[in-house]
Amino acid sequence: MPENIEKISVKLNVNGKTYVRNLEPRLLLVEFLREELDLTGTHVGCDTTYCGACTVLMNGAAVKSCTVFAVQADGAEILTVEGLEKDGQLHPIQKAFGDSYGLQCGYCTPGLLISTYELLSHNKQPSDKQIRKAIAGNTCRCTGYQNIFKAIQLAAQNRTRT
Amino acid sequence: MLAQIGDEAKLLAGGQSLIPLMKLHFANPGHLVDLNFIPEISYIKEEDGALGFGALARHAEIENSATAAKLPIIHDCAAGIADVQVRNRGTIGGSIAEADPSGDWATVLLTQAAEVRCLSPKGERAVSLNQFITDAYTTVLAHDELVSEITVKIPPKGTGAAYLAFKRAAPVYPTASAAVSVAMEGDVCKEADIALGCVGLIAIKATAAEAALRGQRLTDKSIAAAAEAARAAADPQSDMRGSAGYKRALVVALVKRVIEIAARRARGEQVEVSHIYA
Amino acid sequence: MAIKFGGEEKKWVGKALPRKEEDRLLRGRGRFADDIKLRDMAYLRFVRSPYAHARIISIDTSAAEALAGVVCTLTGKEIVPQTQPFIEIGPDSKVRDYPFAVSKVRYQGEPVAAVVAESASIADDAAELVRVEYEALEPVMDAEQALQDNSILHEEAGTNKIWHGVFEYGDVEKDFQDAAFVVRIDRLHFHRFSSTPLENNVVIGEWNLKDDRIYYSCNNSFPSFAIQFLSAHLNVHIDRIRVQTSDIGGSFGIKITNYPQMAVVALASKKAGGRPVKWVETRSEHMTSSAHGNERTFRDTRVALDKNGLITAITSRHIDDCGAYPRYEPLGCVIWSQVFPGVYRFKNARIDFTQTVTNKCPVGPNRGYSRMQHLWFLERVIDICAHELGIPADEMRMRNYIRPEEFPYTTPNGCVYDSGNYPGMLELAKQLIGWDAWKKKQAEAQKQGRLIGIGIGTTLDSGTNNFGQSQIVNPGAPFSGNSQGANCKLDIYGEVVVAVGSCPQGQGHETTAAQVVADVLNISPDLITVRTGFDTERNVHTGFSGTYASQFAVSGLSAVHGAAQKLKTEMKRLAAFVLESEEDDVEFGVGAQGPELRAKRTGKSINYWGLANIVNVNSAVLPVEMYDITLNCRYIWRAPFKVPDKQRKYGNLTLTYASQLHIAVIEVDRETFIPTILDYVAVDDCGTVINPPIVEGQVYGATAHGIGAALLENCAYDAVGNMLTSTFSDYTPITALNMPKIKYGHIQTPSPHSYSGAKGMGEGGAAPIHTISAALQDALFPNGIIIEDSFNNADSLFRALVGKEICQAERLVKLERRAS
Repeated sequence: MPENIEKISVKLNVNGKTYVRNLEPRLLLVEFLREELDLTGTHVGCDTTYCGACTVLMNGAAVKSCTVFAVQADGAEILTVEGLEKDGQLHPIQKAFGDSYGLQCGYCTPGLLISTYELLSHNKQPSDKQIRKAIAGNTCRCTGYQNIFKAIQLAAQNRTRT
Repeated sequence: MLAQIGDEAKLLAGGQSLIPLMKLHFANPGHLVDLNFIPEISYIKEEDGALGFGALARHAEIENSATAAKLPIIHDCAAGIADVQVRNRGTIGGSIAEADPSGDWATVLLTQAAEVRCLSPKGERAVSLNQFITDAYTTVLAHDELVSEITVKIPPKGTGAAYLAFKRAAPVYPTASAAVSVAMEGDVCKEADIALGCVGLIAIKATAAEAALRGQRLTDKSIAAAAEAARAAADPQSDMRGSAGYKRALVVALVKRVIEIAARRARGEQVEVSHIYA
Repeated sequence: MAIKFGGEEKKWVGKALPRKEEDRLLRGRGRFADDIKLRDMAYLRFVRSPYAHARIISIDTSAAEALAGVVCTLTGKEIVPQTQPFIEIGPDSKVRDYPFAVSKVRYQGEPVAAVVAESASIADDAAELVRVEYEALEPVMDAEQALQDNSILHEEAGTNKIWHGVFEYGDVEKDFQDAAFVVRIDRLHFHRFSSTPLENNVVIGEWNLKDDRIYYSCNNSFPSFAIQFLSAHLNVHIDRIRVQTSDIGGSFGIKITNYPQMAVVALASKKAGGRPVKWVETRSEHMTSSAHGNERTFRDTRVALDKNGLITAITSRHIDDCGAYPRYEPLGCVIWSQVFPGVYRFKNARIDFTQTVTNKCPVGPNRGYSRMQHLWFLERVIDICAHELGIPADEMRMRNYIRPEEFPYTTPNGCVYDSGNYPGMLELAKQLIGWDAWKKKQAEAQKQGRLIGIGIGTTLDSGTNNFGQSQIVNPGAPFSGNSQGANCKLDIYGEVVVAVGSCPQGQGHETTAAQVVADVLNISPDLITVRTGFDTERNVHTGFSGTYASQFAVSGLSAVHGAAQKLKTEMKRLAAFVLESEEDDVEFGVGAQGPELRAKRTGKSINYWGLANIVNVNSAVLPVEMYDITLNCRYIWRAPFKVPDKQRKYGNLTLTYASQLHIAVIEVDRETFIPTILDYVAVDDCGTVINPPIVEGQVYGATAHGIGAALLENCAYDAVGNMLTSTFSDYTPITALNMPKIKYGHIQTPSPHSYSGAKGMGEGGAAPIHTISAALQDALFPNGIIIEDSFNNADSLFRALVGKEICQAERLVKLERRAS
């Protein structure tokens, strides 16, 4: 029962800020981000680790935050969609998605931006096949993916230019 | 710690199988012992003619490892598991210990000389992989024992192995999969190891299919015979991935293709494999 | 009255403008319903039936209530005395629909009780402690079986049949007598699937006991419909119900019928002493108990053709499965007739249409609602007849298409297709896919025994409904026509603010509305604020307000246009007075002081701040005859419909008809039976395009939904009513790895029925389902296969080709050649 569960102290860095909290072990990372830190940009879309709407960066790797306990992020560096912009300026990946009409309802978008961020951090010129593989775990119901492919290619191009 | 808590405890590695089960209330462990904070059990190394994977080596790390790439079938497996996000968390040790009937590692490693090192307060022991998993979700691990390492002997030159699955989408388990390793001597297949995934309670070693190749030249006829024997060895359930009849037919097609790729790799060819998606 | 578009420069409408919505959505600052947290909020979790059909013997909530942190529980028995069953649209319907099962459950996942707790996890834990005893009943999982009434779902109704009607036009029997060919098709079946928006249903409801009003923050996508049902159900005046939506993560029609959950949340809040209560649906709940698309079986189809392959008559029996409760049904029993002949010229037909309940999830108006099933049927008929007569599929269509010069075209049942050019679309699509080259490749491949097919799917997206069609299913239904509201004002400091009665789920309404107003006022869209989402308090909604049925470009933008025009007229009048000039000397633009009006002759100008200032806080300046100027203009646009002829089932049922034509090339692997799309073209015609990339994006999205539905997505049940695809991992919504590259083309045949020439679009008519069935059919005709189902995957193709269990031509199709 909730009162009997021993909370665990965790310290983690989210979008450049450090947080220290006592958390129930069963709290999912996505619940922690949304409910405790009010970072509601990361979304929940399913319950079997399929859709990737909850994707965040954990120590540089894209993970589905619905399938990680918050306490497992002790000592970790987390990046969410809210951490992409700098001083109010959109990150080039965000801009590329906007310029390419790579979103409609916007619900899958935060997860996709993070998956794209990971892809481009180690692959400067991803092929079409590599792009599809990189977002195979991000479901979108609005765009049919075509403009998302274009957005990621544009983001890659813009990165290599700067 | 496991000895203290007893049956109510489950080990947490990548969590990519366990956490979904807990969310749907199919698994309700009272305690979780998180292995992720134990340092230095996620290594990938080559030692004494074998690849050694620490239990917490992530699928993604194995996918991107030059060391692991020495065995292309290892890369086929690691790169094809689920999607990027799950591969970043899921581990080889966790996967083997979980013994999901559809787990890719169990299928692939059945075709290799693989051993599972198990650690308990009483000490360490090594179990051959083909004896490690006994039933669906069941291994020979004692409740106070965990997987510490998986070793895979690097086979001699002239051996080639490959793994291929048909998956409806990346984040789900395959409808069926086939792993094949062949040791070639010229045109003749000296040794064959064939494992079928997702078509039984555990991965199936298709011994009759192997016999159909052993000592034979790899021709359309012998490959077809092996594939048919594999069909007979498969024991699939009908479910949303497909009917039992279809899964058997799929096994035939996959085994044929994988034998051909394995043979090409045995001849020293670089062949890239990726799973078939719907 | 439709407003004629004129006297305005189209500077912004038609442009590829970046969306206003992007900024907040890209930053993760969208406001989706689950992002909202209220003070003192409690959390609700449903307890749901594991059985498809069972009597409820007892419900014991005591263990749940004893759990620390539980606020209260709620069951069906408790709410019956407090509520009326939901309004039924069907005639003399005896179905009693409550948001909980009361004495029996009728589908797996039906809510039986609810728990309210201090946190979501406590509510989860408590829900597990509710003990329900059931007595299992025989489930009815097949529509044709259901109609035998051996096991009745709604005892009060005494039958499972919800509706039956015959749609007959022309002289059908004479046509069959005169026919050169008669083709008989025993059975075709359109499967049950759902567009599964990525965001699940979410309701936050507060029954405020101090002011006795109910406040909702939710993602319902047809709020005006919901409040009509809720008001009657909860015995609360409609004005006492406030519904707000903000950002919605997709709906595709599925979030129209979440009003039962809205009712539960309000009742739970009341019981919890007026605390706000939040319900967040899980994906599993969504798959089993939100809404599915209609499933339809087509039996005993007969087609009469002349010697040239022109279809002259069709008869068929259609059986629609609406799941356990009708809810939005039986509207689906007439909605399909908006596209009665599809894109074809036949004038004579008899469709015998029956709808039945079964022990499955209730259906909702899933994207393409009720028309895609019928259009798929017609495309199968065309292809099967073409094959039987030895006419190529493209040629068959060209012979049977309604001709461009025949528009506006009145269909046999009185619908008016506004405009279109189906032959032109086919030509363009063939060009884009490289038809001739593929035909050659196909011939060579077939020689090698490969199974390659090329398929065409022509479909219609009828938009802006005439709700008068409800009177065809129920002569007593007090619904007809269609309308939408908008408000356009200069706020106190002169800001232009627009509110519309729509609740967009990604369609870019804020952007397109701004484009329309920008053209009216000759300013830029940046200077226009469009309020996000829907809010009853804004008072711009009509009884039809929401976002559904491919209509915003027509209904919403016509309302916005009308409101902007009204505002412009007032601004001109006021400016003329202030600038001491004639009204026709006043021009609109942007000057040194921002957006302003200028007198051409004198060069004097006044900016928007100045105008707003006079009307709002400086009104002694105004002469009495100008007191009616408010610069706050509400406009209701009405579609020019009449009530249809209920007896003849005749009349115009939709205002605009967008069309889609897709071509697919598919190969079925002979060993794995996996179908792979080798090439794909989508051609779209939605008339005048307001914002091209927004349209293109929705065409891609609709294409993905259709390909997913055709090859991956099936809401499947077993024989005893277990839902087999209750998670995304079982249902496998289409992913990036499954999508082929889509070649996109479009033409524009402007609609004479909308002010801008735009036609509503967005649903996409499920063209890919028709197209993929056609391509698979083309590949497999030589193997004696008839594609009889809209859902096909490796497994079903294996069972057809090897097992010969299904899709066998010799059992399904018969051709009769008549003498002469």
